[in-house]
Amino acid sequence: MSHAAAHEAPDPALLAEEARRYHHFITLALWLAVVTGIEIVLIYLPLSAGILLTTLSLLSAGKFFAVILWFMHLIYDKRLLFWLFMSGLVLAFATFAAMILLFDSDRVDTKWFG
Amino acid sequence: MSHSAAHAHEAPTSTGIDHKKLIMWLFLASDCMFFGTLISTHLLYRKLYPTGFTDAEGHQQFVQKLFDIELTSFSTFILLMSSFLMALAVSAMHKGGQLKSFRRNVLGVIVFGLIFLGCQVYEFTHFYHQGLTVQNSVFGSTFYVLTGTHGTHVAIGVLWLVLLYFYSFTGKLGGHVGALDVEVAGLYWHFVDIVWIIIFTAVYLVEYLGPDGIWGNGLPPVPGVTR
Repeated sequence: MSHAAAHEAPDPALLAEEARRYHHFITLALWLAVVTGIEIVLIYLPLSAGILLTTLSLLSAGKFFAVILWFMHLIYDKRLLFWLFMSGLVLAFATFAAMILLFDSDRVDTKWFG
Repeated sequence: MSHSAAHAHEAPTSTGIDHKKLIMWLFLASDCMFFGTLISTHLLYRKLYPTGFTDAEGHQQFVQKLFDIELTSFSTFILLMSSFLMALAVSAMHKGGQLKSFRRNVLGVIVFGLIFLGCQVYEFTHFYHQGLTVQNSVFGSTFYVLTGTHGTHVAIGVLWLVLLYFYSFTGKLGGHVGALDVEVAGLYWHFVDIVWIIIFTAVYLVEYLGPDGIWGNGLPPVPGVTR
């Protein structure tokens, strides 16, 4: 990297965009902290396991996508990167679903073991 | 981003995306599948073998009583805040290489990363003394492999950021290339954070659903008693 390149003047439009993102990052960090706090409070509430599991899954999915969209810039970057990452995510989730269904012990016909 | 600003920094490649960034996203997609299989394996074996583990003295131990949710919540908070600082470090580089701001934020990320690793070492040591080892139960095997792999990713991330921090003093970390290098390191760090978001829920929090956790305690059901 040349010395001149290291000190090149930033594009004013980019500077304005970065200033806007800065506020998004602060807001998001606060939301992430609050949602994590809510998750911890939720596990102590006398709610049914089904409701809790659904709520916790939705909250954690929300945190997951918030980080990849804003902190990892996917919302600002080209769509190709989003779909590239989603392909890995979909395959990971499909693996999880397939394994859980394949080894669902409640559905094993135990009469063959007797 | 405004169209003109986005267009001004479009990379001169066939996709319009810098190759380093594209390769990093490809790696993260593959790492997603890697962690997907580790998390799936852990959840599957928790379902098939719900009886926690047996310690060295032969006593049955339950996972819910082993976990320290306050410590894990603290670790989660630390990692989330490190992600925030990383986003600020990347932003500082995009604003024309504000190295002082970059160093301040990246140093914060390194410190938070080390705190997270310290908490994990403490947790592993505590669990080991409680009798949970890699060999003595299915839960121990899947838990240590999953969280240990994540911890290794965090350690690699910390090392990468330490190198970037010192590299910034050479005067070579500037311009578009420097900003891209920091952004790629940032992508890796954020990925480590999102993996922990899933692990925190799928491995730790689910153990607290219901009196014996979502998996039950593995004991035969008692007629007339709803657990």
